[in-house]
Amino acid sequence: MTSVIGRSVTRWDTLGKVTGSAVYAGDVALPGLLHGKIKRSTVAHARIRAIDASRALALPGVRAVLTHADVPRVLHYGSPHPRSASVTKDQYILDTTVRYHGEGVAAVAADSEEIAEAALELITVDYEPLPALLTVADALAPGAPAIHAVGPGGNLVLDPVVVTRGDVAAGFAAADLIVEGTYTLGRPVPAYMEPNVCVCQWDALGKLTIWTSTQSPFMVRGTLAEVLGLPLTKVRVLVDHMGGGFGAKQDLFQHEFLCALLAQRTGRPVRMEFSRKETFLGGRTRHSGSIRLKQGFRRDGTITAREAEIVFDSGAYGSHGPGVTAVATASLTSLYRCDNVHLVGRCVYTNTPIAGAFRGYGVVQSYYALDSQMDEAAEQLGLDPAALKLMNAVRDGDLAPSGHPIVGHGLEDCIRRGLEETGWAARRAAPKSHDTGRRRRGWGMGCEMHGSSAYPGIKEQGNAIVRMNEDGTVTLFTGTTGLGTGAHTALAQITAEELGVRFEDVAVVHGDTDVVPWDIGAFASHTTYMAGRACQMAAAQVKAKVLARAADRLEVAADDLDIRDGVVTVRGVPGLSLTVADAIAAERGIPAPQLVGEDSYRPTKSYSFAAHFVEVEVDTETGQIDVVQVVPVHEIGKVIHPVAAAGQIEGGIQQGIGHTLTEDFRVDPRDGRPLNASFVDYKMPLAMDMPPIRTIILETAPDEGGPFGAKGVGEDPIIAIGPAIANAVHDAIGVRFRHYPITPEQVLAALAEKGATPTPGAADQPDQTDQ
Amino acid sequence: MHPFAYFEPTTVDEAIALLARHGGDAQLMAGGTDLLVEIKESLRRPAVVINIKKVPDLGGLACDEAHGLRIGALVTVRAIETSAAVSRLYPAIAEAVREIGSIQIRNRATLVGNVCRASPSADTLPPLIAAGTVAAISGPGGARSVPLGEFFTGPGRTVLTAGEIVTAIALPPPAAQAGASYIKHGRRRAMELATVGVAVSLRRDGDVCRDVRIVLGAVAPTPIRATAAEMLLEGRAPDPARLEEAGCAAQDQSRPIDNVRASAAYRRAMVGVLTRRAIAAAWERTT
Repeated sequence: MTSVIGRSVTRWDTLGKVTGSAVYAGDVALPGLLHGKIKRSTVAHARIRAIDASRALALPGVRAVLTHADVPRVLHYGSPHPRSASVTKDQYILDTTVRYHGEGVAAVAADSEEIAEAALELITVDYEPLPALLTVADALAPGAPAIHAVGPGGNLVLDPVVVTRGDVAAGFAAADLIVEGTYTLGRPVPAYMEPNVCVCQWDALGKLTIWTSTQSPFMVRGTLAEVLGLPLTKVRVLVDHMGGGFGAKQDLFQHEFLCALLAQRTGRPVRMEFSRKETFLGGRTRHSGSIRLKQGFRRDGTITAREAEIVFDSGAYGSHGPGVTAVATASLTSLYRCDNVHLVGRCVYTNTPIAGAFRGYGVVQSYYALDSQMDEAAEQLGLDPAALKLMNAVRDGDLAPSGHPIVGHGLEDCIRRGLEETGWAARRAAPKSHDTGRRRRGWGMGCEMHGSSAYPGIKEQGNAIVRMNEDGTVTLFTGTTGLGTGAHTALAQITAEELGVRFEDVAVVHGDTDVVPWDIGAFASHTTYMAGRACQMAAAQVKAKVLARAADRLEVAADDLDIRDGVVTVRGVPGLSLTVADAIAAERGIPAPQLVGEDSYRPTKSYSFAAHFVEVEVDTETGQIDVVQVVPVHEIGKVIHPVAAAGQIEGGIQQGIGHTLTEDFRVDPRDGRPLNASFVDYKMPLAMDMPPIRTIILETAPDEGGPFGAKGVGEDPIIAIGPAIANAVHDAIGVRFRHYPITPEQVLAALAEKGATPTPGAADQPDQTDQ
Repeated sequence: MHPFAYFEPTTVDEAIALLARHGGDAQLMAGGTDLLVEIKESLRRPAVVINIKKVPDLGGLACDEAHGLRIGALVTVRAIETSAAVSRLYPAIAEAVREIGSIQIRNRATLVGNVCRASPSADTLPPLIAAGTVAAISGPGGARSVPLGEFFTGPGRTVLTAGEIVTAIALPPPAAQAGASYIKHGRRRAMELATVGVAVSLRRDGDVCRDVRIVLGAVAPTPIRATAAEMLLEGRAPDPARLEEAGCAAQDQSRPIDNVRASAAYRRAMVGVLTRRAIAAAWERTT
């Protein structure tokens, strides 16, 4: 039989998407639908003295207005991961205090969006200003007012995360070279294509149905039930197609509560959709902040000690701050081997937009620092940076950040392959015209590793139900969400492969919490890895039932049977076979018993690896950095769907280029007002900005735990590209940047400081013309 | 979207009459690519929108060596972008129109609309001014012509008075041995507002430049002529030293602001760089 694993089958979701028939939460049109809008704070920190909604309520077409006085006052988790310490209970649906510019203070439901918007302007809010703490330094200053009454105090979201191994003092004492630097982190946003949207409806029995664009429908169900005081049978969450989430849509947002309450208050269905601006104001960002990193090296390149202090800016609420801080801090134990580490991670409340989960969860930040510093150390040691990284790369048996042993030699394989593919040695040795050329080129590389699944930080499990129908086709029930990655296609491939039926004969049912098995949500690079393994296990159960029945019919032992392409065959007896449909057909009019398999998979821990090799060109007159080409090498275990995996990699690189060069959501340092809450001034790279990407996927370190040896790939591609670019910039112009994004203005300033401004009229040719 | 009264006049006179009657409450709409977004985002709240797409005499794109280029008020940016004659005779205009938004936007947006919107960072304004473009204006008091160099009075502001419509813009035929260029500086390659834009038009006379026009975009409330730089080049060869001087002179004349896109200092520095590059590019095209 042709294996369907490793084949880029046609994704079942694409036809609906390209023809426009795919249903997204915002497409749900119900009779009597009302439109909800949120009134957002125009100050960064204030107590609400009074809200007057009387004029809004008097506007014809307005059906309800909610303020903090009208909603349940229940403290809830913004990012509700059960069985996890990675969350903080610090949010109310609407509070009497606003903690960032853009926080919702009231909500309106009206007959049209226009009326709802007009009503927002008629609501007056009397703010009693409080001091706005807009930076981590402000929030940590002695005597700074507390933004929250909960938490450990001192505006910390959680107690500092401390990770210690070995003896750092001894490690530094043994070092021939100590390199130290502080890395400052920008504030990119996920900018998913589909703005947050939901539709809520209550039935006569008091059951809430919510269609919402979320990565974690069961978390939405659980939190809404908790806050609204309902059993789980009274909340049904539906999500069919999604236009991305990149981690941020793991949170519950204010509109999901408010939409439910407006629908309850009015007795009519209500739709609430963020404008693009609201996805900035009320969305989630990556954690900005700073990382002070210090490492000791022996002359031969061995790392003797590593010390780091991470300080993340959580913004106004905790959201994923605890999880991101824990993951980032632990990540610095690894990637490059070091026996002596002392790492401290802090996460600090400020009166700025909320930081949340975002693809690369803390590791984008930590490995930007670590990998950049490795380059710096290589330079000072007189070693090639790739050689230094290769000699220190974590490998089989080393402890991963999760505490589990690493399986295989994925990182070393990625580095070696990239060195060959790029002709690295020759490129790095090529002469540079650092002092004269106007456009200067350079090569850099960066590495990363990332866990498939959030285990053990979150006690996760993947679940699946596989049911065979009377005609031999198969229906897979999964609680995982389809963010747009193609994961459901991969799950169908895994199910088909395990059962021995054709891929086309497997249908996927998902997105209805009343029907599908519980799932923690689509995040942490775990859907294909974790839910995929559960699908494989459930499919194996169904296969065993089919074979038992076929064994009776064929009068052979079940152990001698196998299923291929939907046909039961007998080993060693080529002539004897039975289609699956015949095997399960009714016998003397009596149908087969239910052919259902269901299983849960609790992950072992898997890590995927990558090395990104990048060529950049720097225009030394304008300071602009062009990424000329990228060669990403990823080791992700067995690849289920090569095109989808490559798509993840290319998309991650595009996002990573943006983070490193242009993307930064900024707030006014004086009053916390967002300065670029729109795509006019928040610039992501587009098609025209993308360099050629030569993606290489290795399968050299498959994981026993994953389906057919598969590991995760979702988050990995956004991590290594950043330091690779920064390192390439250093190779091109000899300037080391310890922050992102690196703007043209900063490039020019750095060149001027270095006294390396170009000679007017100098040759306008790059150093290296090959591509 | 904020509600408004909507009219579709079918003649220029009717459009003028509507515009005159509703004055400042009315907005003229051609492509609508800026206007509708601004209404949706509540940046503008016109009581009246007058769509002129049904006016038959406002179309028409004509381009040849003898008569130059005439662009009616309803001609889309995409029509100009895809005109082989425009690309050949007015390369700087072709460069600038390709910088506007996306292809989808350019299929709707009109060049005259881009002019009348009078954004300081509009890509087409510097090359149009450098090319000596004249706006044909009709209004309650009759018709008049205004060179684009005198058309803009501030961000979003022009010399148009109540009831006046720009019916077309006209560019003179390019001179023999002429060269023109437009260079935009932005944060990415497409879908971007100019941080700085520089347009140059000049004529080669042996080894020296003549009739030099240098126009700077996004560094002042309106596009501005870099007159000092022009004078430095007039009758001179564009050698590296001269380019450097011209760049510095243009830089000195710019009056950029600080904002989230770039600092004033960076914009000023880029005026120098882009001016040098734009002059060199225009000179290249004269050969």
